[in-house]
Amino acid sequence: MDGSKEQSTKVRTGAQWLLQALEAEGCDLMFGYPGGAIMPVYDALVDSPIRHILVRHEQGAALAADGYARASGKVGVCLATSGPGATNLLTGIANAYLDSIPMVAITGQVQTLVMGTDAFQEVDVFGMSLPVVKHSYVVRRAEDVYATVREAFAIARSGRPGPVLIDLPKDVAVASAPARAPHYRTCAPTADEPEALMRARALLAQAQRPLLYVGGGVGMADAEWALRSLMRSTGLPAVYTLKGLGAVDPDAPFNLGMLGMHGNPAANHAVQECDLLIVAGARFDDRATGKLATFAPNAKVLHLDIDAAEIGKLRRADVGLGGKLAEQLPALAQPLHITAWQQHCRAMKTQHAERYDAPGDGVFAPALLRQLSEAGGGRLIVASDVGQHQMWVAQHWRVNRSAAHLSSGGLGTMGFGLPAAIGAQLAKPDARVICVSGDGSIMMNIQELATLKRYGIPVKIVLLDNSSLGMVRQWQELFFAERYSEVDLSDNPDFAELARAFGIPAFTVERRDQVADAIARLLGDEGPLLCHVKIDPRANVWPLVPPGKSNAEMMGCAA
Amino acid sequence: MSRALAIEIDRAEGALLRLLGTIERRGFALIGLQTDAADNGGLSVRLLLDGERDPQVLCRQLQRLIDVREVRLLPDAVEETPETFQATWLQG
Repeated sequence: MDGSKEQSTKVRTGAQWLLQALEAEGCDLMFGYPGGAIMPVYDALVDSPIRHILVRHEQGAALAADGYARASGKVGVCLATSGPGATNLLTGIANAYLDSIPMVAITGQVQTLVMGTDAFQEVDVFGMSLPVVKHSYVVRRAEDVYATVREAFAIARSGRPGPVLIDLPKDVAVASAPARAPHYRTCAPTADEPEALMRARALLAQAQRPLLYVGGGVGMADAEWALRSLMRSTGLPAVYTLKGLGAVDPDAPFNLGMLGMHGNPAANHAVQECDLLIVAGARFDDRATGKLATFAPNAKVLHLDIDAAEIGKLRRADVGLGGKLAEQLPALAQPLHITAWQQHCRAMKTQHAERYDAPGDGVFAPALLRQLSEAGGGRLIVASDVGQHQMWVAQHWRVNRSAAHLSSGGLGTMGFGLPAAIGAQLAKPDARVICVSGDGSIMMNIQELATLKRYGIPVKIVLLDNSSLGMVRQWQELFFAERYSEVDLSDNPDFAELARAFGIPAFTVERRDQVADAIARLLGDEGPLLCHVKIDPRANVWPLVPPGKSNAEMMGCAA
Repeated sequence: MSRALAIEIDRAEGALLRLLGTIERRGFALIGLQTDAADNGGLSVRLLLDGERDPQVLCRQLQRLIDVREVRLLPDAVEETPETFQATWLQG
């Protein structure tokens, strides 16, 4: 069914219309977990060509759909039943909302007749999810199911992407009806005024020390090429956020690295010194800006974001453009006379280059990550969990495309890594997907090892084990007078044995001289694999901007 | 500081909840609310809000909601109070 012919006289059940609409949207894979209220959909699924991946917890379904969307650029789809199934999806939906990931989440609901009566496994997931969805529906008539799913996909992927929830009562899934035609309502960006573009160009022409601040929006807008082209033709220096990692060419001479709390000092100093900040698909997140009032204190701001609501939200923009980055960035190109600034940036970059010469014979996680990413080259996708290892990945993993670095940036969801890696691997079967996790994070969705085993998904897990909740421990050490509270995980299970119990091959690395062999195995083995790496529990992430402080006040780096 | 907004939304499930939730979550307090049926199955909503943040940014945050058709920030030449808000509403 296409275009104006979409209104159909054919009669199907709501569940069948749901799957028809998914097919029409090009969905060939979804992640879910069955249960009472969603059973009509699982029944219809038996006759559908769409592949369903059975996860072992609904949060895994939502996060796998998220990883699938990040790696493929397509809309991720997850499915759960009512009540606890639906509430278990919520963390994954919120994760997608804060990182602007296109997702359609489908939940079963109790029959419309008993909705609002506290029926078995009834929760108002529509109400619970309101603040963390781009849009949502309760479908109350079978004839609306097809159109609603089509509209949901259009909303999820248009403009600034985001998750859309569809709550489907059981009786609506069972009822038969013809389908009404979709009525598309999206929030497409308006074209930029030529006059505003001219003012943006003029700001850049006048700047002595211009700097690009690159966010996740660049990769999501397919504007990486435009960004790199602009950087090549103008020599503009750039810094990037956690989600912007990979958008900037890692070999670009004026790529100054990540800014923010665990950013490169060269990046943070450049922001403090610049006189024009060109913000491309970024949103002045507090982990990037530190104390906002002191962020880029001498800079005018040119803010480019497809979501006009981001412009002026946290920092006033001298010029704000709400259009498309792939068109705006090339329009800025012009000869610049910033040689002195470029030289200064390059000197800072050299001064603050990462070092891997840590003493001792224990495993130095930053070096392992650097070596693994360099040895793996362009085939690698890394899905990181949340904590110290996530920051080490951001600082040291060599990434050449933003879709090759999956990280829970906005929500900071421990447990993201493994399901996201599963989604990415299924989206990109030819890629070698590495999940970098920690001993805290891995236990948040450890059950998904069963999903790896069931489908033979060849995700490689690098588990950096410091026997503690390292990031919290680091903050307690630095900001809570070493009063350690509930961060000791020294009674962890034997992770290699645990993986083997799930049927996943595993091995343990404890010394630096074992790293080369481990990397060879991670890049050579065909199936799923867990590499358990024991590291020093006292290792901290440096540098660090203390919470509430200016990015100029970094701890743990040369001045 | 209080500001008045005139908004038109679709009469869809959750549309008003989403609108009011966004307003409160984005840091504005609701001190006046009037609704009435609008053309084409819509709902006309007039709001009086109190907040320190930029109301223009709030308008853009409301504008991006799928059920929101139109958002107008009413002129702030005269500081609105619940009483004047009520009076201007009744005058249509």
